Amino acid sequence: MLAVAIGLWGGLLALGIANGLVIERQRTTIEQHISHIQIHNPEYLKDDNIRNHIGNHRELMNTISSIPQVKGYSGRTMVSGMLATANLTTGIRIIGIDPRMENQTSGIASNTIEGSFFEDPGRNPILVGRTLADKIKVQERSRVVLTFQDSDNEIISAAFRVCGIFQTSNTTFDETNVYILQSDLVSYLDSITIVSEIAIILDNIDESEPVAGFLKKHFPELEIRTWAEVSPELSYLNEMFGVMITIILGIILLAMAFGLANTMLMSVYERIQEFGMLMAVGMNKKKIFSMILLETSFITFGGAAGGVLLGYISNRAIQNTGLNLAVVGGDSLDYMGFPSVIYPELDPSFFYTLTIMVVITVLVSAIFPALRALRLKPAEAVRHE
Amino acid sequence: MKIIQTQNLTKIYNSDMVPVRALYNVSIDFEEREFTAIVGPSGSGKTTLLNMLGGLDKPTEGEIMIDGTDITSLKESKLIDFRLHNIGFVFQSYNLLPVLTAKENVSFIMLLQKVDSRVMDKRATDLLRQVGLEDKMDVRPSKLSGGQQQRVAVARALASKPRFILADEPTANLDTESAFNLLDIMARLNREENITLIFSTHDQRVIERARRVITLVDGAVASDEHFEREEVKEKA
Repeated sequence: MLAVAIGLWGGLLALGIANGLVIERQRTTIEQHISHIQIHNPEYLKDDNIRNHIGNHRELMNTISSIPQVKGYSGRTMVSGMLATANLTTGIRIIGIDPRMENQTSGIASNTIEGSFFEDPGRNPILVGRTLADKIKVQERSRVVLTFQDSDNEIISAAFRVCGIFQTSNTTFDETNVYILQSDLVSYLDSITIVSEIAIILDNIDESEPVAGFLKKHFPELEIRTWAEVSPELSYLNEMFGVMITIILGIILLAMAFGLANTMLMSVYERIQEFGMLMAVGMNKKKIFSMILLETSFITFGGAAGGVLLGYISNRAIQNTGLNLAVVGGDSLDYMGFPSVIYPELDPSFFYTLTIMVVITVLVSAIFPALRALRLKPAEAVRHE
Repeated sequence: MKIIQTQNLTKIYNSDMVPVRALYNVSIDFEEREFTAIVGPSGSGKTTLLNMLGGLDKPTEGEIMIDGTDITSLKESKLIDFRLHNIGFVFQSYNLLPVLTAKENVSFIMLLQKVDSRVMDKRATDLLRQVGLEDKMDVRPSKLSGGQQQRVAVARALASKPRFILADEPTANLDTESAFNLLDIMARLNREENITLIFSTHDQRVIERARRVITLVDGAVASDEHFEREEVKEKA
């Protein structure tokens, strides 16, 4: 029973952590980077030239603001360009934002770890990622030069001053993206506001499909994609991990079933005389089978209950504090787009699956020893030494 | 009244390979209230005969009628049920359930028979009192001596109100005092409660108390002797 409890506890803890890793990655990727829904001019996805912007963005944003499930949205102006300092020049994507709208959508203000999030902007403020700041050796109030093309393909260069440094869970994103004020960017690009991308955050991830469907119906000329379409690998990762959880749990329970079957078989061998006596005095085979099944169930369910309880308590305990894997893995998880701090999580439906699998384990591990007991001949069994 | 009748009972083991004849053409009847000892040297077929009479093994040939029922033709499930309601067993190694108390060991046969719990409790108490273990009712077998365990086994055999009790060398593992004690109890049950007893034994102490002694040699009945009741009473 103890072996069952420890096996399940370890399994549940490992699965909780692994599942938490995947869920946390999904959550941070959606919240910080891709949002639940993204809207573009279809041409923009082929060529991210500033000319391929969303033409009717005001009407679109009015419609979005009227959808009750929408928690926040942000119209972004995005261009590719170069960032230069005295030390280094690097290619980056420049994202022009309305700070208030952007913060409602990506929560980037809370990821600003140094300086401020455009609170005291001054002239041409720029927010750079931690990784990029380290790479080009800039800090708050450092000056950088951005170079990009306007809609007429004219090269524009402008000086910006670092107002803050942000850090998300994805170091690649932090290294290749900078935020500036949308008003500053469009002033260099054109006289009117240009929106390249609209990102929408919803109250619930499950609303992504219906809201995207609604918008597609009203704006068929635009490319409206849910998070699963923007980042299919994220969606596949979730599905794949669901299957992996079942497989890993299956392996744990299979190992457990072998252990249990062995324990029960040993128990049958040790109690041959007892089974012989029971059969001799009139206990029928159905009752003997039920007895072995009940004993196996007692061991398994007792152990499983303990294991699940321990697993639940452990997962909850770590959920409160988080498990900081950076201690052992450094920034490697961040580079892969996974958060370093994991909050274990197991869906309640997982426990239904577990219960069914434990029942199957009981049956599988009881059948062989029970059949062995039923094959005993009472006349020989009662005299067994 | 005849309670058991065997007709040309033959048992051959490993009949497909090297046949070993354990019983040959045994035809014996057992009367109600008899106290019978089946004796003979090792390998003479005592245990085989007892297994046949108890429905634990099937004969190769012949039939066994118990109260008019041919148990050799009964299906497995019917035979198990027949044993539960008609035959009591006492084994050489007691075969008590170690996790149950003496009283629970006696009761569980009645549990299989679906006897009412109050009736079961009373009968288990009475039976343990009859075998002199009223002060050991809640004690587990590991805390009982061999003689006491065998007395619990006798009480268990009686619990189902069987037509007869089969005892396979019940005194083989007991010291002299315990063996005499057990035999006293069984002789009293036979005399006062009219319990039919069939022993297989090597034990001279048992043979001396039996009212009928059947001797088997090489699987066949070599002799079948009857003794007067008074003689047995006197010995008891």
